[in-house]
Amino acid sequence: MLRLFLSVFMFTSIVSFSQNNTISSGEKLTFMASYNMSGLMTDLAEVTMETSEIKTSKNTLLRLKCKAKTFTKWDNFFKINDLYESYVSPTTLKPYLYKREINEGNYYKFMQYNYNYKSQSVKSLMRKRRGDGTFWEENKNLRLGINTKDLVTTLYHIRNLDIQKAAIGSSDTFTVLLDNKEHIIKITLLGKETINTKIGKKECYKLAIAMNENGLLKGNNNNLLWLTADANKIPVYAKFKIAVGSGELRIQSATGLK
Amino acid sequence: MRQLFIILSLIFAALGLVLTILPFYTIAVIPIIVGFIFGLIAFKISKKSNKSTNIIKATFLVIIISLCISIYRSVFEVNVIEEDNIETIKKQKQSEQETINELESLDIEE
Repeated sequence: MLRLFLSVFMFTSIVSFSQNNTISSGEKLTFMASYNMSGLMTDLAEVTMETSEIKTSKNTLLRLKCKAKTFTKWDNFFKINDLYESYVSPTTLKPYLYKREINEGNYYKFMQYNYNYKSQSVKSLMRKRRGDGTFWEENKNLRLGINTKDLVTTLYHIRNLDIQKAAIGSSDTFTVLLDNKEHIIKITLLGKETINTKIGKKECYKLAIAMNENGLLKGNNNNLLWLTADANKIPVYAKFKIAVGSGELRIQSATGLK
Repeated sequence: MRQLFIILSLIFAALGLVLTILPFYTIAVIPIIVGFIFGLIAFKISKKSNKSTNIIKATFLVIIISLCISIYRSVFEVNVIEEDNIETIKKQKQSEQETINELESLDIEE
């Protein structure tokens, strides 16, 4: 499921934490995830992206929550129930806490990143389930690069970029912290395209994603994302190619947009 | 040759039927089509050599049934996800509380 997410989440951040003009609380996007089985796209799971406000005694943060759940008909074959969360500043989208809970059949993994900008570090916690049902933990302190962000924050950051100002063909590299490792990805703006979606005909920015170092995503122009060319810049369609096949994500509904 | 095509047609028709019953009904179309082509070849050969076509007709019946089920499921079946049960909701609430505690302990600069 992580790979599915990567098709959407392999997006980028800008050098600094700019002002958030795009993402608001109460937004909900629902996607259909399909996988290519023998040349035919088969609907596999529902992916949701939600935002909500969360209050602490001192601050109000924005919770960016992404969930992936397989349809019940597949649960006897492979059950997926993944949760990705990032707690960010509502004004700058600067991340403070990241949680990732992977439930895929018998496989369970939990990751947590606590960002510390003063010491430029990330406190990482990884919890995994053994075969006998018991858990083991690993704590690490990682150096935090200036532009390093988690997957969820990265996706929301790209929506907040001024893509309209970028030239067609322009590209950039970005850093995503995943499984305690920094991954470099390259994003290229391929142009504008109008596509039909469940939420209507939309003019979109077409972006290509490439991941050079570990080959999780294959090819240079095989992983594509379409973001609406409006103020919300919502992802409406994504195509991805991985080592074990290919698939796509299609938007089903979008509510609570600015 | 006739027997080979009959056997192949039967195998693919059976595979198509199994897949239509399982959640793989979308890809069941592939063995259904292949089974139909083999069945058609076997039918032509049988007609030419004046041999019985009963088993081929039975195979066609299986193919038609499989195709109908596959189309019906593709058009009318609604994809649903598992609802959160009480235990899951409890866990979520506990996790939310843990998150708030975690956020309280962090140095957040606005």
